Amino acid sequence: MVTVTIDGHEVQVAEGVNLVEAARAAGVEIPTYCYHPGLRVVGQCRVCFVEVEGMPRLVTACSTPVKDGMVVNTASDRVREARQAVLEFLLANHPLDCPVCDQAGECYLQDYSVEFGTDSTHMVDDRRRFPGRERNELGPHVIQNQNRCIHCTRCIRFTQEISETWDLTMKSRGNHAYIGTFDGEPLDNPWSACVADVCPVGALTVKEFRFRARVWHLDETPSVCPGCSVGCTIDIGHLEGIVHRFTPRENPEINGWWMCDFGRFLAEDLNGRDFEVPRLRGERGLQDTGWQEAMAALTELAEVGSPLRVVASANATNEALYLAKRLFLDRPGAEVVVPVHRGEEHRVKNAQRQWVAGADEHPNSTGARLMGFTTVDTEGLEAFLRGGRGPILILDGGAHPWLLSQEAARAVTGQKVAVAARKASPLTGAAYLVLPLASWIETEGTLTSSTGRVQLARRGLFPRGQAKPAWEILALAGRQLGVEVPTPLTPRTFFEAMAAEVPPFAAMTWRRLATEPGIPVLEEVAHVG
Amino acid sequence: MTAGGAMKPILLRARGEDKSRSISTYLRMGGYGALKKALIMDPAGVRKEVKDSGLRGRGGAGFPTGVKWGFVPQDLPKPKYLICNADESEPGTFKDRAIIHTDPHMLIEGIIISSYAIDAHVAYIYIRGEFWEEARILEKAIAEARRKGYLGTNILRTGFDLEIHVHRGAGAYICGEETALIESIEGKRGQPRLKPPFPAVVGVFGCPTVVNNVETLACVPHIIEHGAAWFAAIGRNERNSGPKLYGISGHVRRPGVYELPMGVTFRELIYEHAGGIREGHELKAFIPGGSSCPVLPADFVDIPADFDSVAEAGSMFGSGGLIVMDDSVDMVWALENLMTFYSHESCGQCTPCREGSDWALDILRRIRRGYGRPEDLETLERISRYASQGMTICPLGDAFCGPISSFLKHFRNEFEDYIAKAKPLPPRTTPVLPVRSGRGRFGI
Ligand SMILES: Cc1cc2nc3c(=O)[nH]c(=O)nc-3n(C[C@H](O)[C@H](O)[C@H](O)COP(=O)(O)O)c2cc1C
Ligand code: SF4
Ligand code: FES
Repeated sequence: MVTVTIDGHEVQVAEGVNLVEAARAAGVEIPTYCYHPGLRVVGQCRVCFVEVEGMPRLVTACSTPVKDGMVVNTASDRVREARQAVLEFLLANHPLDCPVCDQAGECYLQDYSVEFGTDSTHMVDDRRRFPGRERNELGPHVIQNQNRCIHCTRCIRFTQEISETWDLTMKSRGNHAYIGTFDGEPLDNPWSACVADVCPVGALTVKEFRFRARVWHLDETPSVCPGCSVGCTIDIGHLEGIVHRFTPRENPEINGWWMCDFGRFLAEDLNGRDFEVPRLRGERGLQDTGWQEAMAALTELAEVGSPLRVVASANATNEALYLAKRLFLDRPGAEVVVPVHRGEEHRVKNAQRQWVAGADEHPNSTGARLMGFTTVDTEGLEAFLRGGRGPILILDGGAHPWLLSQEAARAVTGQKVAVAARKASPLTGAAYLVLPLASWIETEGTLTSSTGRVQLARRGLFPRGQAKPAWEILALAGRQLGVEVPTPLTPRTFFEAMAAEVPPFAAMTWRRLATEPGIPVLEEVAHVG
Repeated sequence: MTAGGAMKPILLRARGEDKSRSISTYLRMGGYGALKKALIMDPAGVRKEVKDSGLRGRGGAGFPTGVKWGFVPQDLPKPKYLICNADESEPGTFKDRAIIHTDPHMLIEGIIISSYAIDAHVAYIYIRGEFWEEARILEKAIAEARRKGYLGTNILRTGFDLEIHVHRGAGAYICGEETALIESIEGKRGQPRLKPPFPAVVGVFGCPTVVNNVETLACVPHIIEHGAAWFAAIGRNERNSGPKLYGISGHVRRPGVYELPMGVTFRELIYEHAGGIREGHELKAFIPGGSSCPVLPADFVDIPADFDSVAEAGSMFGSGGLIVMDDSVDMVWALENLMTFYSHESCGQCTPCREGSDWALDILRRIRRGYGRPEDLETLERISRYASQGMTICPLGDAFCGPISSFLKHFRNEFEDYIAKAKPLPPRTTPVLPVRSGRGRFGI
């Protein structure tokens, strides 16, 4: 550790960190464009100038490592004027089309100009334009408007250092330099939309999100990507009940600052809903009903006598799985499996630039295994469903892609099936009881990633209609079945009960989860490599 | 030797010789004798000799060569490299070409001795793309030297090995900047690197590298042959020693490359050697050492043409490429012309240079078209203040800011005259929003 003084605040920081990070530790913000903690330092934008005592010239904070006893001034007139000059240079050729630019509101050119810039320019000449590159489809997910580019090269470095796909490059030279792909090749890699995240301005925007909402209207809910067992830490952006986007949130241990396109574009999927109230099969087929009747019907099913077969879900939270364990695994009279779909491998780099791979396409398969559930693949799942005549409870009709198929519906013909689901499928068509299930953002709870880290996904929306999250359905069912369920009925209650009872989760607290980017379980499950 | 008087040529001694480029001519004139002498000295002895001679880099910055060599870490278990900078792209500079044309073996010998001094076994000559003929001359000279045993393995049976590769650039001025040059040799886009680390520690392929100008390296055999004291005695003062190639261009009667002791005055250069200003005109201004050096008006003509005297006068000695302007020159046009070059050559990675160079050019063009505004001169000064002096990654920022501020300092009245006669600015032609091009499937 070394001690440095920044604007009069003394801080202790690790040796080797740069002045930007040291200042952050001291609570001082230094503006940066080209610097990104996840990318190589290039010192190109020149906005981060600071004064260091004993150095005759201003230095760029991003490329200057701390030295013990350094005294740094980020607020002197010299620094202020230099920043103003750099911001004026950056704005000299910027189109200033903020009113129609989708980056507005999360644009660092706007933010720093307001905070550190001047309110006028000396520029009266024609601004630089890049005809043909003003709304250019760089790849399937990213739209380029080169007029707005500030040449920070973050996007280029992302494709070189993180995705290692080398899709982007700087073309031409000087004032005419622009970001381009290699001839004829699109920007198409599994993490391509991250280049829009790292773009500090509106030069690169995400095709699927742009113009859907002004970002200052968006509510951002901290969550975890539901796409695979990596469990990237994300924010879910939503507005008036509609989910608009997923964006990665910094988590050094799991996803660094990144997420893959597959996970990112699952956002849209959260918006569909076919069931808002429970439906029970009567003489005239499936009929809307109330939760009381639905729970009574479920209890009846569970108490028929022949063993109840339960398909739990690796998409469910640890709390829901914990309740499923109490209800079905720890008591006689039920058989439980958790279906796991391997799917294609998704991976992402953590802050140490190690690849973190997902074992399968479920956000909580690790949690399910740690809880003691047996996992099955497609064949095992089909065999399980066909292997008996008793009633079946499916905790999530979308727990496995095969459950959405016609075969799944055929496999359960003639059997009484209760299924919690958000979307209609052949299986819900064949069901005896359909319970409306809350979506990812309508649920709160914890998930265990493939790296063995437990993270908290917050609820951002109330369930639409009468839908309920899995943990609530199980808690209500538990009461009806005479299982002791801790109160009050909240995810936190069940999490704490789980932490007290299931060894890998011992000693975790909800409070820590709310502030830390994931707590490691007490068991070796790492998938880092 | 008197400063100002003609001297017995050293660097250009082969000028006028028949077949001056061939190795036999070079050997006849005593060539490769210094190499033999150097190889029986130890490398530290060679470094000391060069340091004591006071030789300062002829590439522009005038950094003492022996000191630069001393920065190479001796105990690092990595290969070391020597790079000869033959990019010579600064307008007004054409002395390195003269050396390559008249006496390529002198350069090769200098490279071999210098490589020995820093323990390099691979040397590169980075030569500008447009110098295709010069590249051929060098390739030929290298082949000749290799046949005679001056290059390759076990040179002159001393156990010293060296290969020289000629690496042609692709026509970018910025690749003359040493770290951009290194990137270019590595096969990357020619963009300057952040410093530190300096090339002497982390250079080409991550290894210690010395970059020296052609003329600098060409001096080395003479220093070894005649000794440091002999070299230091040439020239007017000890901090500015040795022979110097002055490339004189512009409105003089006899433009060309002149070899003179460092420290002759500009008056002598212009009036005695280059034959004076053309008929009917008078000296108005001169740029002392290549177009990036601040301009000086005619009253400075009596200062000595060396690093320290020119710096004292507020300009730079640079590469010694003297550009002479007579009274017919429109200084606004001259600055616009310079800015056209620098804005075209900015690599574009750092903000002040990329934006500032083009912005300044736009302003100058507008002033010349007759639409100047009184605020423009302040804006130009502001650009030149904030795109120089460490605000940029490499000194190309300074290379265009020096001209801007010096033209404004010495010839402000000419700019003001343009602005006084200016018409009001025509209405803006660029719409703020992108114009629909018919391809706009994605909105704006
Ligand atoms: C923009 C720019 C262009 C340069 N071009 C050249 C060049 O063409 N030739 C050269 O020898 N040095 C050039 N230099 C200087 C080199 O960076 C370097 O300082 C020089 O080659 C060192 O050699 P010396 O110590 O022998 O002078 C340039 C520097 C800058 C900043
Ligand atoms: S000063 Fe100009 S040429 Fe030098 S690094 Fe910056 S942009 Fe490139
Ligand atoms: S953030 Fe330091 S130069 Fe760009």
